[in-house]
Amino acid sequence: MNERNERIFGVACTFRKPADVFHAAEKVRDAGWTRWDVHTPFPIHGMDQAMGLPRSKVPRLTLLGGVTGFITGCLLTWYMNSYDYPLIVGGKPYWSAIYPFPVLYECTILFAAFGTFFGQFILNRLPHHHHPLFELPNFARVSDDTFMVVLEAQDPKFHVDDSRNFLQSLGGQEITVIRD
Amino acid sequence: MSDSSSKLTSKWTTILGLGVIALVAAWALAFLGLGQHDHRPALSVLLGCLFWTSLLIGMLMLTMITRVFDAGWAPVIRRNWEFMIGALPVVLLLGVVPLAFLTDFRHLLWEWTDVKHILPSGHEVGHDPILQAKSWFLNEKFFLVRISLYVVFFSVLTWAMRTWSFKQDTDRTASHTHTLHAFSAAGIPLGAVALTMLAFDCLMALSYHWFSTMYGVWFFALSIRLALAATVILTYRLSNGGWLDGILNQAHRHVLGCLMLAFTVFWAYISFSQYFLIYTANIPEETFWYNIREFDPVTGLKSDWWGVSMYLIFGFFLLPFLALLFYRSKIVPGRLLTIAVIIFIGGIVDLLFNAVPRQILDKTAPEGFTVSPFLCGGLATDLLAIAGFGAIVIGLFLRSATKAETIPVHDPRILESINYHE
Repeated sequence: MNERNERIFGVACTFRKPADVFHAAEKVRDAGWTRWDVHTPFPIHGMDQAMGLPRSKVPRLTLLGGVTGFITGCLLTWYMNSYDYPLIVGGKPYWSAIYPFPVLYECTILFAAFGTFFGQFILNRLPHHHHPLFELPNFARVSDDTFMVVLEAQDPKFHVDDSRNFLQSLGGQEITVIRD
Repeated sequence: MSDSSSKLTSKWTTILGLGVIALVAAWALAFLGLGQHDHRPALSVLLGCLFWTSLLIGMLMLTMITRVFDAGWAPVIRRNWEFMIGALPVVLLLGVVPLAFLTDFRHLLWEWTDVKHILPSGHEVGHDPILQAKSWFLNEKFFLVRISLYVVFFSVLTWAMRTWSFKQDTDRTASHTHTLHAFSAAGIPLGAVALTMLAFDCLMALSYHWFSTMYGVWFFALSIRLALAATVILTYRLSNGGWLDGILNQAHRHVLGCLMLAFTVFWAYISFSQYFLIYTANIPEETFWYNIREFDPVTGLKSDWWGVSMYLIFGFFLLPFLALLFYRSKIVPGRLLTIAVIIFIGGIVDLLFNAVPRQILDKTAPEGFTVSPFLCGGLATDLLAIAGFGAIVIGLFLRSATKAETIPVHDPRILESINYHE
């Protein structure tokens, strides 16, 4: 890669219709791109498959959080009521899985929510205060009436001129090189 | 209707006939039990009836809920619920109604209706102060009035949900959807009251000393779980050589799987909360209900009902819960079917757990009573009655499918439903 390429974020290309951007996405996917994205004003059904996106990994972090929370709740109630300061309340045992169940349950929910929230935060690489696409003069139109495919320079297949030609062959309208 | 579908519906007379034979056998055993003063075979008929009542009430509630929320995914599946719920009045009339109105059966099952019945304490029911305090509600006349009202109420509601929906097939009037929306909006709260009272009268009153305000909610949770499990099993069959061939898609299975997961958690929440409150309060008139479901009163050791309760926790809650957490369990047909079968079987066991154990007078036992066991001949008659009522329900379902379009072709949301997407 030469010095000029290092400052390039990627190549953006606009489309007028949902069907056009949908089929363009399928071709980009089939060409084997990994670092690229599609921007649309509304969710397009089937776009996940058209882009070849795998399912989100957030649910696994939710499960991990939930299991951690359940174990934390067990340890918490066992340590406090049975180990550190054994106390009989209402004739119940020092520790059983029944009387502290609301605690175990609430800890599970709380930690599962933490897992979900912080999991998506990390997987989405947040916080992210600025993005090179915001420099694009017509980027605001992708929340109105324009559809956009962006090929990023970090993809091993990326080469400015080839990528421009590739997007042109997909029927793209306006093609812009985005600089970092 | 395609060839495979009409082949399916033509079997309705055979299936209905088998159901009638099984039910006659179950009733014959109930009459034999009457002679020996054995309540167990009569209880089997009641449980067979209530199992399908519960399942069909669940389907009725789902029909009304999807109407009220204008669910776009629902129409192709809801039509099958409409076919099913037509059997609800029949199930009630063949089971709980004769059991309640025939005095001998009523006295045998609902002991509080028989003032001469001897309690384990040695007193007659008529002199029981606990019953006397409840007698404004638990008296024979009011009981029979309520049983009749359930039949009338559920007949009218199921008739309404079917009639206007089927009318839409022929007259193509979109306003029927609004009519059904209004019926459902009124039907949901009234149905909630009716199913709660039905659970109180038919199940909770089998053990009239005990009371739980969560019992109706438990019955509702069980109803919806059974209805969803039956829907998954039914739609699986109908999409393999039936009228849902090529129509039922991955997104429909996903939504049914998500609902099964939600109501699995809801059932556990309700069942545990009921246990937890009674365990914490530790009041004898409530705890005895769980004690007879854990200990054998003669030996003082854990009875087979303890094993059943462990099965309910791990087999009816934990296993389906963990399995349904995974996305692929909800979309791969075979896996979803397996989970639905697990829930369906668990639902039978849960109903038995709630209804069967009761104190049976026995002067030789140390506490003056024994508890009916789980594993006994009664279990076989339970399954016979459940199979009998089930075959009648399926027979009537297939008969209904010949009376209207199997897909609601003129429902305003039919295209949305057929093209439903995750």
